[in-house]
Amino acid sequence: MTPTTLANVDLVSYLPLGLIITMAVGFAVANVVLTLIIGPKREGKTKGIAYESGMNPVGTARKRFNVRFYLIAMVFLVFDVEVVFLYPWAATFPNIAPGSPDGLMWLIRILFFLFTTVIAYIYGYRKGVFKFD
Amino acid sequence: MSEKLAILWPEIILFLGTCVVMILGLSPRIEARKACAAVAAIAIVLAGIVGSLAPSGGSALLPELMNYSKGLIAIIGLLLLLLATGTVDRAEERAIAAGQRTFDPLRATRGEFYAFFLFSLTGLMLCASADDLIWLFLALELTSLPTYVMVAISTRGTRSQEAGVKYFFLGALGAAIFLYGFALLYGGTGTTNLTEMHAYFAANGLNPIATAGLVISIVGIGFKIAAVPMHFYTADVYQGAAASVSAFLAFVPKTAGFLAILAIVAAPGWAYGTSGESLPPELRVTLWVIAALTMTVGNTLALMQTSIKRILAYSSIAHTGYMLVGVIAGPGDGSFTQNGVAAVLFYLLTYGVLNLGAFAIVACLEHDRGDTTEPDEADHIDDLKGLCRTKPVMGWVIVISSLGLLGLPPLLGFFGKVPLFTSGIAAGEIALVLVLAINSAIAAFYYLRLVNAALLSDPDPKGETLRETPLPLRRVAAVVATGGVIVLTIAAGGLMTAAEQAGTYAPMTHDEAERYLEAAGRASQAAELPEAP
Amino acid sequence: MLYLLMAVPLLFAAVIATRPPEHARWIALVGSFVALGVTLFAMLQFSYAFGGSTQLEAHTPWIPALGVTLDVGVDSVSLLLIALTALLGPICVLASWTAITWQQRTYYAWLLILQTAMVGVFAARDLIFFYVCFEFTLIPMYVLISLFGSTNRKKAATKFFLYTFTGSIVALAGLIYVAWWHARGAGEWTFAIATLGETARQMPLSVQMPVMIAMLLGFAVKVPLFPVHTWLPLAHTEAPTAGSVILAGVLLKLGTYGIYRFVLPFVPEAVAVAAPTIAVLSIIGIVYAGLICWVQTDVKKLVAYSSVSHLGFCVIGLFALNHVGISGSVMYMINHGLSTGALFLLIGMAYERYHTRSMKELGGLAAKMPVWATFMVFFAMASVALPGLNGFVSEFMCMMGVFQADDAWAAAAGSAAQVPGSTPGPLGPWFALAAGTGVIIGAMYVLYMVGKVCFGPLVEPAGHDQHAHGDGHEGDHHLPADLTPREIWTLLPLAAGCLVLGLYPSPVLDTIEPSVSNIVSLYDDRVELPAMMPTGDTDAPADRPAEVMP
Repeated sequence: MTPTTLANVDLVSYLPLGLIITMAVGFAVANVVLTLIIGPKREGKTKGIAYESGMNPVGTARKRFNVRFYLIAMVFLVFDVEVVFLYPWAATFPNIAPGSPDGLMWLIRILFFLFTTVIAYIYGYRKGVFKFD
Repeated sequence: MSEKLAILWPEIILFLGTCVVMILGLSPRIEARKACAAVAAIAIVLAGIVGSLAPSGGSALLPELMNYSKGLIAIIGLLLLLLATGTVDRAEERAIAAGQRTFDPLRATRGEFYAFFLFSLTGLMLCASADDLIWLFLALELTSLPTYVMVAISTRGTRSQEAGVKYFFLGALGAAIFLYGFALLYGGTGTTNLTEMHAYFAANGLNPIATAGLVISIVGIGFKIAAVPMHFYTADVYQGAAASVSAFLAFVPKTAGFLAILAIVAAPGWAYGTSGESLPPELRVTLWVIAALTMTVGNTLALMQTSIKRILAYSSIAHTGYMLVGVIAGPGDGSFTQNGVAAVLFYLLTYGVLNLGAFAIVACLEHDRGDTTEPDEADHIDDLKGLCRTKPVMGWVIVISSLGLLGLPPLLGFFGKVPLFTSGIAAGEIALVLVLAINSAIAAFYYLRLVNAALLSDPDPKGETLRETPLPLRRVAAVVATGGVIVLTIAAGGLMTAAEQAGTYAPMTHDEAERYLEAAGRASQAAELPEAP
Repeated sequence: MLYLLMAVPLLFAAVIATRPPEHARWIALVGSFVALGVTLFAMLQFSYAFGGSTQLEAHTPWIPALGVTLDVGVDSVSLLLIALTALLGPICVLASWTAITWQQRTYYAWLLILQTAMVGVFAARDLIFFYVCFEFTLIPMYVLISLFGSTNRKKAATKFFLYTFTGSIVALAGLIYVAWWHARGAGEWTFAIATLGETARQMPLSVQMPVMIAMLLGFAVKVPLFPVHTWLPLAHTEAPTAGSVILAGVLLKLGTYGIYRFVLPFVPEAVAVAAPTIAVLSIIGIVYAGLICWVQTDVKKLVAYSSVSHLGFCVIGLFALNHVGISGSVMYMINHGLSTGALFLLIGMAYERYHTRSMKELGGLAAKMPVWATFMVFFAMASVALPGLNGFVSEFMCMMGVFQADDAWAAAAGSAAQVPGSTPGPLGPWFALAAGTGVIIGAMYVLYMVGKVCFGPLVEPAGHDQHAHGDGHEGDHHLPADLTPREIWTLLPLAAGCLVLGLYPSPVLDTIEPSVSNIVSLYDDRVELPAMMPTGDTDAPADRPAEVMP
């Protein structure tokens, strides 16, 4: 038995899908083009300013942030992703038969993963990410 | 799982080395920071030993490929590491030693540099043991991602940063293209496992979607090996990065790309065409055109350069083209003279050593303009003038490396090229071999310029500030690489036997493939059953 | 034995590299004499009765994975060319004695390395080994020209390198194709020249043709044949004297030797078809280069172009495909080495004194340098084939071979054997006639040059008298007006060689006979095809020598 593949599927059956995609793209393009052609154009200073939820904009948007913001964002990402991985693992692990070789393997895997995050943590610590002064 | 672990020990060793290096590099104690390179070296040596002694594994189609490649990667990797010493943080460390500044972990990049170095080698070794498209993709990206950062931090100048960003964006484009190709391959065959894919092709033949996937994958991986039309970044990036990193770029991603191409191309195998011994026609034509264009473009553009790094960058493009001839030729009857795969593997070794020697010269010479700034690299061809007289060791390094890259007998490069010739001819690719021959001749022109400058010109009066680098390990790398060229020339026979073995290709017959699929089909059905909660 | 012959110059080159520069030329001289001695010893060991078979063989495996070995062995033609190389060795060292005053170690070391490579080419019995040596001659020559040549040397050296490298890499592709053809049939790869020759002869014409074109591309550049000759005058003119001597004496012979060793025996059918084309190219080369010589004012360039013209005879003799032509051609290889080498030496000697090679600035030197002028006239005569001197024998034999090589004539007479002296071949009297004009042109330009430079009113470069007898330009040595004993001793062996070979060439002809027969027999077989010899019952042609089993 061979696995089902795209090649085995009759491509004609995808025709309606293609048609819908064509219509969708066509609709979008047509709208943009039509707006450019027939839409009224009123340019003004007020119209050109940035939209800040009704407030008058202050200063420029191209301001440099302290590099620590990025570092903290990245450290957050590391631990965030860690939790994302840990949760399904923790939910599945109790279902494995105790004492089976599978269980040991699962444990080693997650310990390895935790090891990498610990390394990341030590690295972040030494880099001075957690110094807020 | 555990059988996979057995072949992954080299990668695990490298990874552990990476962890240690990353943390050591941020130590406030200078001794600990200096230990980074040593730890990295130990990790590479251990990984190399374990990798070449490990039980063979990886792809079932190229069963012997892994051990040879890992040994090769470790050898060249170690030389690259020697060359990379002192690339980052030189001025910083000098200022700290002079007491002008205290150690600031945010400014230090040494730990990261070596860690990325090892990460990239880890990815490269993973490429050698890949037998699955997803694995292959991750391995390729693990090889490349660290190099983007390495380029950007390799010097303090804005050029490096520009090069890093350019490299990153084009690299992302390349990755997207071959990922798309991988997706099509999956769509066309219903599997990501390369052995299973081979069985599918052997049993059912090719289908248009899979063929498109193959072609697109190859074009995308062309970025890693700097093949036309994905070569545009090469010269700028190599020039922008420090020479030690350029040497790294010229070997590591290229080797990764070639290992990946071999793994992918082995899936349909060399069982098509009129002779029944060549690649599927579409794939063959694509590779043919890419190879011919790559050689020609690389060599022609190299003629017009005055920067050594740019010359070497274009020459590395040309060498990619040469090696693609071996990929097109395929394994033939498996003997070294007809096995294009073995020819590629052997050429990677010769190219790695010779190219390292050539880049080492740029890394080892610098213009000293006072000690406040980082010294400039001596990258102009005029800097080489009269080198054999003023600095004989460096002079002969560049002379021997250039002549070797040119393929002048009896140096190593020639014996790298002969198997490409023989396998190409044996596969019936006479026209491509002629293109290869003519390109080798074109290449003579710019390699001769390097030789001419170093061996035969009078020293440049402007070259007073030129000096050899004070970093001893870099000079060691240069000398070892050049000595290696001579030693390997003499020992070429043994290496060729190793490459011949590594190039073993084990395709399935039609019946074997059907049996394999049947077994795999049952297995996959079993796996699809939901596990009892 | 042959390994020893290759190792001696290399060893002495290594010694030079470690000794102070003042000793370099002495060591080089000793080294080249030792090499000459070893060569003479090798010649004594050689059994001339079996000159066509490979002797003094030695086998060394090199790269088993590729089937590459370091096998060596010589037949009589190889041996003679090695002897020529060895003879020119000390002469080149002596010729550079006072001319090279800077970087002596580099110069003499490369000179000796070059000698090793050249011996390697002639001795190799493995194709890859042959190719390695063939290519490796480029590096020493490149260094010699670009470090020690005259004003335009860099360009000349690069052009020389690129031309020959390009040609020979295409030749490599062709030769490897033959190896593959063998591997396909025999199942294993080998690069042994003799084995590959067997295989190559069995290839069909459609395969032989491209292989021949590829090989010819490589060797024709080295010869050089007409359309690809342009590197030679430049390289000759710019090279130092000894460089020119080696270039004319041996390096050009690598091309004709390659044709002799590979093209003729490997692809006989293709050669038979292409011979007229090659002959036409040779004739164009002969006449065209001769005409260029006529308008030269630079003496060295004149001799350089005359080389192109002479080698044209050599090639056309080879492609006559009969006994006389090929023997003459092999003779020509040796004679040209002697006489043209000597001419370059003489020009070098004059240049050392006057620092010019322009015929406008030199004239009537016989008045001031009678010995020099005597030698000049002698070698010029040898070069234009004056009967009694060596050039005559070989040139006459080449022409003879071309004249006789006439299928039409042979066919008209029924068979080759029935017309005395006629052998089948694709050329014929018309080709001989066309090439013959080259002889006349040759005589004109050489006589013109000799007349202008040696005789007539004395002309010396302006300002020469201020530095009377000396030259304070490059070296501090002072040369007398006429030749020194060292210079005379440099020239005498060459002169003796010219005279002996001119008056009594038969020992050499006898020596090369078996080797040439081996090749000619390949082409005679062609005649015995039923289609070409309807009678079919004749014996071997009368002039066909007894075959010597290889």
